[in-house]
Amino acid sequence: MAKPPDHDSPASGVSRRTFLKTAGVGAAATSLIGAAPGASGPTVLGPDAVPLALKINGAARTVTVEPRVTLLRALRNHLDLTGAKEICDRGACGGCTVMLDGKPIASCLMLAADAVGHEITTVEGLGTPEKMSAVQAAFVEADALQCGFCTPGFVVASTALLRQNPSPTLEQVKDGLAGNLCRCGTYSRVFEAVLKAAKATPVAGRKA
Amino acid sequence: MTQDASPKPPAPTVTYLVKVGHASAPQTLEVHAAEGDIKPWDLDSKLRVVKGRQPRLDGPLKVTGQAKYTFDISMPGMLWGKMVRASVPAAEIVKIDTSKAEKLPSVKAVWTTEARAVRFAGQDVAAVAAISPEVAEDAARLVEVTYDERPYVTDLQKAMEEGAPLVYNADQVPGSPKAPVKGNVVGPIVPRRGGPRGDVAKGLAEADVTVESTYYVPVHTHSPLETHGVIAKWEGDQLTIWASTQSISTVREGMAEYLGIDRKNVTVITEHMGGGFGSKLAASAEGTNFSGVACKLAKQAGAPVKMMLDRHEEHLCTGNAPAALMTVRLGAKKDGTLTAIHHRSFGTAGIAGGAGTGGPSGNLYANTPNCLVEEHDVFTNAGPAAPLRAPGHSQGAFALESAMDELADKLGMDPLELRRKNESSPVRRIQYDIGSKAIGWERRNKKAGETSGPRKRGIGMANGNWYVFARGSGVGAEVKIHRDGSVEVFQGSQDIGTGFRTAMAMVVAEELGLQTRDVTPHVGDTRWPEGVGSGGSNTTNSVAPAVRLAAHDARTKLFAVAAPLLGAKAEDLDAAGGKIFVAAAPSKSIGFRQAAAKMPNEVISAVAERKKQYETYRQDLAGTQFAEVEVDTETGNVRVLKVVSVNDCGIPINTLTTESQIIGAMIQGVSWALFENRILDRNVGTMVNPNLEAYKILSSKDMFEAVAIVSEIANAGNNTSAAGIGEPPIVPTLAAIANAVFNATGARVHSLPLTPDKVLAHINAARRA
Repeated sequence: MAKPPDHDSPASGVSRRTFLKTAGVGAAATSLIGAAPGASGPTVLGPDAVPLALKINGAARTVTVEPRVTLLRALRNHLDLTGAKEICDRGACGGCTVMLDGKPIASCLMLAADAVGHEITTVEGLGTPEKMSAVQAAFVEADALQCGFCTPGFVVASTALLRQNPSPTLEQVKDGLAGNLCRCGTYSRVFEAVLKAAKATPVAGRKA
Repeated sequence: MTQDASPKPPAPTVTYLVKVGHASAPQTLEVHAAEGDIKPWDLDSKLRVVKGRQPRLDGPLKVTGQAKYTFDISMPGMLWGKMVRASVPAAEIVKIDTSKAEKLPSVKAVWTTEARAVRFAGQDVAAVAAISPEVAEDAARLVEVTYDERPYVTDLQKAMEEGAPLVYNADQVPGSPKAPVKGNVVGPIVPRRGGPRGDVAKGLAEADVTVESTYYVPVHTHSPLETHGVIAKWEGDQLTIWASTQSISTVREGMAEYLGIDRKNVTVITEHMGGGFGSKLAASAEGTNFSGVACKLAKQAGAPVKMMLDRHEEHLCTGNAPAALMTVRLGAKKDGTLTAIHHRSFGTAGIAGGAGTGGPSGNLYANTPNCLVEEHDVFTNAGPAAPLRAPGHSQGAFALESAMDELADKLGMDPLELRRKNESSPVRRIQYDIGSKAIGWERRNKKAGETSGPRKRGIGMANGNWYVFARGSGVGAEVKIHRDGSVEVFQGSQDIGTGFRTAMAMVVAEELGLQTRDVTPHVGDTRWPEGVGSGGSNTTNSVAPAVRLAAHDARTKLFAVAAPLLGAKAEDLDAAGGKIFVAAAPSKSIGFRQAAAKMPNEVISAVAERKKQYETYRQDLAGTQFAEVEVDTETGNVRVLKVVSVNDCGIPINTLTTESQIIGAMIQGVSWALFENRILDRNVGTMVNPNLEAYKILSSKDMFEAVAIVSEIANAGNNTSAAGIGEPPIVPTLAAIANAVFNATGARVHSLPLTPDKVLAHINAARRA
C-alpha cells in the first residue's frame, strides 16, 4: 500500500510537484493504487490514467485518472461530486475545501493519488437537502449565501471549525473562515449562521 | 400615405388612489394605471408574505452542494474547451500554428481567430476542445503564435500624453464617438442624464468658498467566483447553451446572430449562477467570444463542449470597472448652499469606451443651479471594461462626496449639515435621520484627527444615487395551479444570487393566500415567458408586476371554481392562510387544495404581461451611508469597524435577501476602497496579479459590522411598488470610508485603494502641514 503522505513534511510522500516531474518517466502503474500491497516509498505513476481507491463520505470509490489530476478535479469531473468548486485553483479562496481525516484542506492543492488511504468528506457527505446538518440548516435560515458558489467551501470549513471548537467566539469564527472568500459579500450572515449552529448543536463533553 | 396627423387616442387607463412615500410622510396620489393592471401595493396594503424574511428556496440545494451551476454540469461525450490568449498587449498576429495541438489524439476540435490586431494581453487567439481539462490545457500550450509586436500603453495618464502609442488609429475607433477624438482620448462627453444646468463659471464666481481636487480610482475586476463559461450542445440544428450569465436572453440573441441561425433554435439555461456583478450581461463577455467559440468547437467536434474560463482569464478579458481620474470643483455660499458643481473625468475602459463617472455629480444635489459634467474615455491596451454594479457611480461618488467633505471642512460645517442644506430628495432627508442615529453621528470627531493615541477612530458619510430601470413591456410570467393544489410560476429571467426566484414565489404566495414554500418557481430558461437581463437593478421590478398579474388572474379563475362551493360570488372572495373565504364572512371558507380539487380541468394556467412603469411618486433611488473606521497612525492600516447603509428599494419583496444584497454591496465597496487594484506591468503590458491572493478581495478577517436598513418607500411605480437594490448600496461606500479616514486622522487620501503606504504618507504630510 502506498505510504500515506505526511503533510507536515514536504519531503515525504508524493506531491503534485514530484508527479509533474515524474509523469512520463516511469512505467505506468497498473495495479489499483491504494489496494495493492507491498509497495513502499515514493511511487512513480503515469503518465496514463491509473485506478485509485478512495474513501469518500464513508464509501469506497474507485476513480481512474491521470496521476496529475487533483483531488478537486477527481471529485468534480470523475465522481460527480461537484459541491467543492474550482474557483482560483491555487489554494487562495477555499471554494474547494473538503475534509481530509477531519481537517479542512484545499482539494485543488492535492493530487487525487495523495488522498489514497485518507478519509475524505465533501459537502455532500454532511447532509442532504431533505436532511441538512445543523450548520447547513443555519446557513439557510440566516441567508448565509447569495449566489452560493462559495457556500460549500464555507459549510465544510465551518463544520471543521465547530468540530475543533464547538463554542467559538466571533473572532474565532473569523479566524476559522479566513481562508474562504465570498464575492457576493455574505460574511456577516455566515458568522451569524456558524454561531447559531454552535448553539444548536449539543456537544458531548462540552463544558456548561 | 396619408397626411392626416390626428393624434393616437390615449391608451385606456384605470385610476387608483394610492398612499405612497415613506410611512413617516405619507401622500395620497392618483395612479393612472394601464387597463388590466391591478392596484399597486401601497402603505395601506395588508401584506402577509411580501416584505417578510423568507430564507431562499434554493438554499438547501446550495448548502449541500447539490445545486448544479454551469461549471458543475457534465454530459456524456462532453469535451473541454480551452482558449489561447494573446500574451502581448499590442501586435499584429503573423502566424497561429495549431499543428502540434492537433496531433494530440485527444484533441477533437481547433479554432483560430480571424482577427489580426492584438490590442490587449488576453485577447482570444485560438482554442481547442479535448477530452479532459488537463489535455485541453496541454493542447493550448502547444499552440504557437507569432506576433509582430507594436508599441502599447497601459497607463491612464501616459495614454493621455501627446505622442502616446495609439490603441486605435483614427479610423479604427470603435462605435461612433459623439465627441471629438484626440489621440487615445474621446471627449468631452456630456451625459444626457444629469446634463448641464446654468453656467458653472458664473456659479463658481458667485461662491464664497470653492474647492477643487483630483481623485483617482483604480480598476476593479468583478471577480465573480464562478468564472464565465458555457456548455454548448448541438442536436441537429437545435442548440442548447448552459451559461453562467446574467442574461439568458442576450446569450440566445447573441449566439443566434453570431452563428447565423434562427433564435427559435437556441435554448439557454441558467439554473444557478455563481456571481456576475455586471460582467455577465453580454452574450460572452466584453473581451472574449468564448460562447461563440464553444458553439463552433461543439459543431466541429460533433460533441458538447464545456468552456469555463480560469481565474487568470477572468481577470484579463471578462470586464472590469474602469479606472478614473476625476477633478471636481464645487462652489458654495457661506451657509453651505451650493452654487456650482463641475465634474471633469478621464476614465479608461481599456480598449472600450464607457468610462464615464459623472452620474452622481449630475444627479445629486439637483437644486444646485450650475452644474456641468464632462467625461472622457481614454483608450489603453488593457481588457475592456464591463458594467460593474452601478457603472461609474462608485468612482464618481468617491470624487463628488470626497469633495463635499473637503468643502464642509473649508466652510467649518458639519458634513451632514452641508448635505442636508443641499438635499433635493425628500427620501434622503428621512434617511439622514435614520442613518446618523444608527452610526451615532454625534460621536464623530468635531475636529478631524483630534483623538489622542496612535489608533484613531473616525466617522464619515457619503451619498449615492441610482435610477429606476424597469422594462415596461414584453416581460411575461405564467402561473399554474394544478388539481393537486400545487402551484408553479415560470419566468425567463435568471437568479444571479439575488434571491429572485424566491421573491417571485413570494409574490405568487401573497396573491394566492399561500405560504412561499407552496409555490415552485422555475426560472433561468429561455423557454419560459420572456425575462430581462439582470442589469441596472431591474430584475425584480421588471418581473414582479407580471408575476403578480399572472397570479391574480389564476386566483380569479380559482375563485370562480370556489364561489359556487361557498354559495358566494367570486368577486366577494379572498384568500389567505391556505384558504379561500368570503371576505365579509371569513368563517365561510374552503381550503385552497379542496378548491383546486374541484377544478374542471387538470390545470389553471394564467399568463400575463407586464404593464408600463408609472411615474407616480419620485423616480430616483436615494441612498446614504455612514462608516466608522480605526486607523493605526503608526502603520497606516485602516480597519473598517461599521458601515450603515440606508436604501430605498420601493417595497422590498423579501426583506431578508434585500438586506443581504445591501450588505454585499457594502462589502464589495469596502473591498474596493481598501484593497482592490488591478496592476498592469507597464514594462510588458500584462497583469501582475491575475489571481485571488495578489488581487486581494475582502475576507472574513477584514469584516466589519454591516448594518443594512431598508427605508421602505411605496412608490406605486408598478403594481408591486418594487424597485431595485443590487447596485445602489455600492455607490457611496468608497467615499464614506475615505471621509471616515479623514475624520479619524485629518489626512485626505485622494487615490484609492487606501493602502497603508498611502495612508501613512498622507498622515505624515498632514502632520507637517
